[in-house]
Amino acid sequence: MTPELGLIDEYLDRLALELRVDGRRARRILLEAEDHLRATAQQLGADGLPWREAEQRAIDRFGSPRTVARRFAAEAGGASLPRLGAELVLALGLLFGIGMSAIGASGLVAGGFGAAFGKSFVAGDANGVTYTPARCADFLEYFPRAGNCEAAATAHHFDEVVLYRVAAGVVGLLALGGWWLLRRGAKRRRSGALPEGFSATIGVALFGLAAAGLIGLGGMQLLFGQPAGAGGLISGGVIALAVFAGFARSFVRGLSAAVPA
Amino acid sequence: MNAELLKGHLDLLLLAIIAERPAHGYAIIACLRERSAGAFDLPEGTVYPALHRLERAGLLQSRWAPGAGRSRRIYEITALGAEAMQERRATWGAFARGVQAVLGGAL
Repeated sequence: MTPELGLIDEYLDRLALELRVDGRRARRILLEAEDHLRATAQQLGADGLPWREAEQRAIDRFGSPRTVARRFAAEAGGASLPRLGAELVLALGLLFGIGMSAIGASGLVAGGFGAAFGKSFVAGDANGVTYTPARCADFLEYFPRAGNCEAAATAHHFDEVVLYRVAAGVVGLLALGGWWLLRRGAKRRRSGALPEGFSATIGVALFGLAAAGLIGLGGMQLLFGQPAGAGGLISGGVIALAVFAGFARSFVRGLSAAVPA
Repeated sequence: MNAELLKGHLDLLLLAIIAERPAHGYAIIACLRERSAGAFDLPEGTVYPALHRLERAGLLQSRWAPGAGRSRRIYEITALGAEAMQERRATWGAFARGVQAVLGGAL
């Protein structure tokens, strides 16, 4: 007995998302693909393969959803330069939106670090940093209850770290909203012109480097007994690491879909 | 066999198979694989775009037909397709003879 929902159903769902053709044509393609995949799996099953393995073999022989969709797009006339440009703008817009939102999230984490470990952990100056009397007066004017120049400077820097990052996050969320609207409008016109995993590859590299750099630097400060300001770096690193993990998952899934088992 | 090499001749191969009798995609691809003894082993899903293109060009026509619990798209060759196939077969024959003559002389 064959399962009601299986690998072929999942494959068809993914193919439906990848196809950049009108609805009627997409329906025909999906029906033909389903017939082909089920016929192949049934044949392989009759030859003795377990059903799930037969489904997987049929899918591997058919080609990845992206490969098949791109061939349909290519046979329909290929990807024009404007389409390529539109997809590039969408991909970079997504990365920009995620990046700015991540900065915003790191601001919230920095705020949490400040509440938990003190503002100096997030935005304290390194040893030996001094300010002119005029600058100190400025800091104390904004934070009269700080009591001294160093504490007032730290409170000022902390507010900047948190508020500026959160402001960047708001910009990021707006960018993601714009990206979502544009993507909805552009979905039918997309041609799969960009290489598979384009955004995921850039995201993995960008956020992987950011996570390693920020956590590495913050960790070294802690290791060498200089905790002031380490929280500012680590808060960014933690968020970068989370975003890296999301892109890495997408990257690996893309590789699995592109390379036959 | 290199898939890029095959792509240049895929239209002729498809037309030749379908010219023998109307068939659905699965049967066409199975025939392609069997007759080539597995040499023409390209992602099966990429044959369908070629079938659709040949249909848009008027070389094939297709219709839904009831299958084993599912509807199947049956492809058959048109008069224009049969004519195009004869032309391409002749072109391929001349090309293959030329290549063979050169290789035969070189080996």
